[in-house]
This record gives sequence, structure tokens and C-alpha cells, in this order.
Amino acid sequence: MRYRAFMIILAALLTAAAPVALGRIKLAALPERERVEIQLDNGKYTLVEEERIVPLLRSGKTNNMIDFSWSNTAIDKNSILFRPVAVREGGKFRPVKLIKLADGTKVPEINVINVAYPPNENALVWEVYAADACACKVRVSYLIANLTRTFEYRALADKPEEFLTLRKYMVLHNYSGEDFIGAGVWAGFGPKFQKEINQLDDLKLRIAKFTQVPIDKTFTFDWYTHGALNPAKPLASKILMHYRLTNDEKNKMGEFPLQPGKVRIFIEDGHGGEAFLGEDWAALTPLDDTMKLYLGESRDIVCTRIIESNVRHNVRGNLHNQEIVIKYEIENFKDKATTLRIVEQLNRLGQQYFGNTHGDVEWEKGGKTSKGIRFDYEFGGATPILLVKLPARPTDKDAKVKKVTVRFHVTLKNLW
Amino acid sequence: MKRIATAIALAGLFLSPSAGLAKNVDLVTLPARDSVQLTIYNSEDITLVKETRYVTLKKGANKLQFSWANTLIDPTSVTFRPLDHKGDVELLDTVFPGQKPQHLIWNVESMFEGQVKVEVTYFTSGLTWKMDYVAITDPDETKLHFRGYVRVFNNSGEEYEDAQVRLIVGTINLVEKIAALAKRRGIPVPTRQSGKLYKDFRGIVMTNGLARAEESEKKRLNGRRPTIVKEGLSEYFMFSVSGQETIPNGWSKRMQAVEARDVPFDIVYRMRRYQYGPRPVRFFIWRNDAEHKLGESPLPDGQVNLFRQKRQKGDKGDDGLSFLARQQIRYVPIKAEIEINLGPDDLVVYETQRMSAERLNFHFNSHRRVDGWDDRTDWVDTIRNYRTKPITFELRRQWAGDVNYESEVATTLFDYRTTETKFDIAARSKRQYPATVTMHFGTNAKQQNVKLKDSDR
Repeated sequence: MRYRAFMIILAALLTAAAPVALGRIKLAALPERERVEIQLDNGKYTLVEEERIVPLLRSGKTNNMIDFSWSNTAIDKNSILFRPVAVREGGKFRPVKLIKLADGTKVPEINVINVAYPPNENALVWEVYAADACACKVRVSYLIANLTRTFEYRALADKPEEFLTLRKYMVLHNYSGEDFIGAGVWAGFGPKFQKEINQLDDLKLRIAKFTQVPIDKTFTFDWYTHGALNPAKPLASKILMHYRLTNDEKNKMGEFPLQPGKVRIFIEDGHGGEAFLGEDWAALTPLDDTMKLYLGESRDIVCTRIIESNVRHNVRGNLHNQEIVIKYEIENFKDKATTLRIVEQLNRLGQQYFGNTHGDVEWEKGGKTSKGIRFDYEFGGATPILLVKLPARPTDKDAKVKKVTVRFHVTLKNLW
Repeated sequence: MKRIATAIALAGLFLSPSAGLAKNVDLVTLPARDSVQLTIYNSEDITLVKETRYVTLKKGANKLQFSWANTLIDPTSVTFRPLDHKGDVELLDTVFPGQKPQHLIWNVESMFEGQVKVEVTYFTSGLTWKMDYVAITDPDETKLHFRGYVRVFNNSGEEYEDAQVRLIVGTINLVEKIAALAKRRGIPVPTRQSGKLYKDFRGIVMTNGLARAEESEKKRLNGRRPTIVKEGLSEYFMFSVSGQETIPNGWSKRMQAVEARDVPFDIVYRMRRYQYGPRPVRFFIWRNDAEHKLGESPLPDGQVNLFRQKRQKGDKGDDGLSFLARQQIRYVPIKAEIEINLGPDDLVVYETQRMSAERLNFHFNSHRRVDGWDDRTDWVDTIRNYRTKPITFELRRQWAGDVNYESEVATTLFDYRTTETKFDIAARSKRQYPATVTMHFGTNAKQQNVKLKDSDR
């Protein structure tokens, strides 16, 4: 059953003497909505703004009483604003102007005198002064609950996984109890839409499409986060695959921060179709930051980590340095050269071999560190990332995959 | 069904003193209120009601019955005094009949016969008020239109027609709640529905109040809102609503009390992880003073709803509003600051990284074991501003223990353990803030505070 459009009735009560009569029996004109805007730029609150043309009588014996009521909608009563913005004159609207009273004071020609709230009703009554009878364009704004938005993404990578197309969607969920016909919808960025969204509807709108976004596909080995791969390979660990997309102009994005949301990742299959690669939750990605999308585990790169040497050097008393050489043996069975990111959590290394490191370890790179390793400090000084280049598997079908062996020589200093 | 009579019925009982009070059949006249003044407090559920009425007394003993069925009046607070013929009219005693809850009888001795104006005051519960504020900034976020509203709620069970309303800002002390006093002896409590519902807003105008009510009405029909006169009173502030207002029982009424246009304000970003969480938050700050077109009175506690006007394409007109924030503000004295927290801003990013660590200055105990050391760490904080305007950024960090703090960027101490730095960051740019922090541990720790390098000299 289609949910009935719940009423938000704006009634200009043109009664003469008793505007709020016993039992609230009303003779009401029902001005239609001329325009509705749904503002979703605030993540916590949704603002609805509607514009209506209200006929007003000249304030003579009484002011105009405008009754605004609603039912089955979660309008925040304390947020409702009534703003007269224009007056119709000669078929056109002009801004509300100030008029001068006999004593020289100026008041708006349309002026809200007060607001009264009846008991046990979702309603309020504005007492509105009008210098002359007119048709007044008013904006009524209010916060409404259960009209929310979430964000979703769809990423389509090309077959070589060099570029992708990222589409960003806003999904409107309308459980507010109200139908919005021809509503302007704006997320705070991107285009403004003119849409119809009825009660219980979910409306998915594409708000951005970024094409030719370069993909940085990474393979990450992190021993202390994932531990041993399996009992058969106690020194190997998982290799996690990610797409890293940088939200900047150079990478064909950088228009606005990317909001958190689910990302579904597809890849072109080379036959005009697509294959699903997986999905991940994207975190808020400010401009110039990187969105990391987890794709799963790679089985085509194998890395084992061996503590090749572990030597203690006394300094004084119980103070000592610990010199460690970690050897990594890596095989790349992929047909493409790549770079493996090895995350070494030196605080965990210290805790494993000596116990309390008393905070972040002090460390020094040793001379036995392989020359080909580049270092990155995305996670801070105590968690270096070793970047190791791996050649593609040999094209010669008889040739074996070359095992790349690198060493990280580290001295953890001043331990006790 | 007619509910309670007007909550307070004042009856001149022309009965002889010998007439039995226990009788349940009374013949009373109902002198109407001449005027009523409500002084409503917002710190406690208490309202002082002062009403004047005309009663006709005869020479000798008079009995005046006062009743307040289905209201929340504190019987212990009801007072009576004549305003005319003061020397001729004397209140002898007050009787609270045991058989009739919410009644009292004043025994009045009068040397005068005829109409006398009297004042009745009492405390009631159920009338409350609160403030709320609406602030709308221009599209460029440089100035705002600030409005404050008082909203008076009437759940007292009584309808006070054409009342003069005064609102007290400040905290008072009560040893007993008025509602509790009103409910003693099993007296039923009025519900929201009780009272005369939906009575005409202008209500029944009392004969002598007519002129004032008409004057008030005339102003409204001129397009003027009721003005709110603010004045200091001891440690309190009193807002008096001009003219008379009628708020039927169960209703509330909201009136504009404060308005200031083109209020300049500052925008400040604050990073205080311990207070606001892991992301910098945006504040709009202005003061309740003349420079900011305010300062006429303190601003009572209330909710602020903050909006921004959207710019219309190709025009400077108003294209509707964006909702920015909602916050409850506490009482703002004159010249004090108003701060509205807009929450995290996706266009301003703060990151901090510990780049390196070094241990030094080891101290050994008699067993040659380390019992004191220093830990020196290099930190780099980065702030990125993607807004099209420069921003002011305040960074506070708390440190535990004995800490020496050193930075090439001017840094001060907010308190003994909190460093504070302020930056101006140009539009669409980033700024780095390096600092070296040396923490003393074990026997090296002599203090529990932060020392800036400058302060060491």
C-alpha cells in the first residue's frame, strides 16, 4: 500500500476576531508548496525548506494567524522558521521592504509578531502583521528526522588495473512520513537535483563521476598484525591487496572530500563485461588524502620473514642495544612487476624479544640493510614501511620464479 | 463539562461570623481580576502571581473565600492586602478549611463599606519560560543576524488573561518545590489538557484592563512586536514583556526578545583531542557586547540554531538556508563570549606524527640498573586548509609527566601540562608545526608539568 502523503498544512487563517477559537475550528486557505528544498549538507540534521505563497489580509482589526500543522512526521518543533521573503506586486515578486510608522520607527511590511504553540498538537500559529493585503512568498524551514542520506561508491577498474572510474552516489532514505514532490536535493557538494521522493522511498543519485583515476595497487605484508599464514608456512604471512586512490586533481579527483561509504569494486573482464572484485568501507577521505580499499589477499606473492640474527650489546648496567637482522624471502608469481610494502612494527619487535620498550623504541638502521629497500613512514617513525621491488615472473616457461631476498638490519637502542 | 472555575475565585461572603463554615452550599460573588502580573523564574518552577481585584466589603466582619481548584498554587504563599482604604481594612486571620482542599477564607475586619481594591499574591508552579536563539550568517560567513526568543509555557492549570509578563534570569534558592507544596494533601495535579483550552487569544478583557490590552493590540496591528524591556535586579535580570499577553493553559507562546543584525564574528578552528575528539572543530565566536550589536542584557540559557544563507547563482540574494549547528548555550553575561561549536570540518585536516625517538640521560641505581631516563621525540603536526579563506587554528596538546617542550613556532602554556599554539593558515595551503618533546622518566622525573624551552632560560 502506498503510504499516504502526510499533511503539512499551512493555513492562513483569515478569521476576523477569534483566530484561535475554542476547539480550534478553522476556516483555512491551503497554499500549495511552490518549492521544496532538502538540505543534506549537515551530516547530523536534515533541513527542509519550503516556499509557499500565502495570501495575507491587511492588519486592521486583527493580524493574520497562520497555522502550521503536521502529523506523522518527525518535524522538530523547535527548529521551525517562518521567513517572509517577497511580496507580489504587479505580477512579480519584490523583496519585503520596511515601512515607516507614524512615530518614525520602521517595521517590515510583513512581520511575525509571535508564535503560539497549542497543547498536544503538532502545530503552531504565527501571528503575522501585514501592512497591506498581499500575496506573500514565505519560506518555512524545519529540521526533520528520518530523512537521511548515506554515500556509496562504485569503482570500475580497467583490466590492467591501471585506472578506474569511480562513481559516487548519495542514497536518500525517506522514512520521515512525508512525500516530497519535485524537491531540490543538495548534499552540500556536487549538483543539486530536482527529484520526487516519497515516504519509504530510497533514492540513489549519482553525484560525481571520476574517470581515469590512477590506481596504486599495493601488496602489504604486516607480520605483527596478521601472524603466521598457516602451520605449514609458519614464517609466511598474509599479503593484503589494496587499491589506493588519492583524492587530488593530479589523480583526476580532488573536487571535495569523499564521504565514508561502501565501495563496490568491479573490473572490466576484457569481454565487454565486468567482474566483481569485492567491496570495502571507505573512510572519510579529505582532499589530498588517500582512500584505501581492501581487495582481499594475494596468493601470488609469498613472503617469509626470518629473524636471521639477534645479538645483545651491553651498554652499561642493564642498559643494552639489541641488534637484529630480519631476512625476507619474497617470490612474485604474478606476471607483472610490483612493489611489496613490508610493515615492521618495531615496538612489537621490541616487546617480542625484550618485553617493555618503555614507549616508542629508539632505533637505527644497520649497514646490512639491503640497498634496494626504500623506506616510508606513513605510520610514524617506529613503524617503518619497507618498499621492495619485485620483478614479474619469468616469461620463459622453464624458468623458475626468482626468490628476492632482502634484509633489514636494525639496532633497537637503549633497552633495559 | 465545565471544568474548574477560573482558577482563582475570590468571593466576598456576606455572612455573619456565626454562619457555619462547614456548610457545603455557598453563595458567592466572583469579582473578576482587574490586573495580573506574572513574574516567572527559569531556574526553578516558580512564578509569582500578583493580581488585583475589587471586592465589596461591608462594615464589620467579612469573610473572603479564595479557592484554586486544579491549579498548582502553593497555599502557604497566598497573601492578601488591601490597596485602598488601608487604614480601614484589616486582615484578621486566614483559615484553611480541612474539608475543602484548595480553599482558604480570609477574615477581614472593615471600617469601610463599599468597593475596595485588593492585591492577592501567590506562588504557582507550571508556568515556565525558556530562551532560544536563531542565528543566520551571510553566505560569506562574515556577519550574522542574531535573534533571541522567549517562549512562555503555561501548564499551570490556570489561564491568565492579558497578563503582564516578567521573566527573571538567574538562579534562586528554594528549600521546597512549589509543585510539591501545591500537591500536598492529595490535591490532584492539572494535566496539560486541563484549563480553558483554546480560549480566544485576546480572551475576555477585564473592564479595567481593557485600555491596556487595546494599546497592546494596537501596537501589534502596527506591525510592532511586543518589546522586551531588560533591566538589572540585584543579581538577576528581568525581562518585561511590553503590553499584555494571554497564554491559555497548555499553550506556549514565543516572542522575540533580542535582535541584532550584522553581528561580526570570528571563525576559529580548535584542535583539542582531550576535549573535542580526534578532529579539529570549527567555532563561531562573538561577544555579548556593543561591538557585536548586543550587550543590552545577559543572554539566558537556551538553544542556538545556526544557519547560513546560501548564495543564489549570479545574484546576491538569499537562496534558502543551510543548517550549520545546534548547541545549548549557558547564561552569557554582558561582554562574555558566545561560542558555537559547528563540529568537524571536512575541509580542514589535522595530522600528527611522531617522527623519531631517542633515549638519553640514563641514570642507574646502586645495582647498575636503569632507574631514570629521558625520551626525546620529534613530532610534526600538519594542518591543511582547503577552504577558500584563511583560517585561525588553535592547537592544544596535553602532556603527562615531566616534559620539556621545544619548538621554533611560538608556543605558550595553557596550563601546567597543556601547550597551546595559534596559527593563521592561508587559504588552500598547509602548515607544519614541528616540536621536540623531551620527557623525563623514573628518577629523572622531578616535576609533573611542561616546561617550554623559553621558560627554561
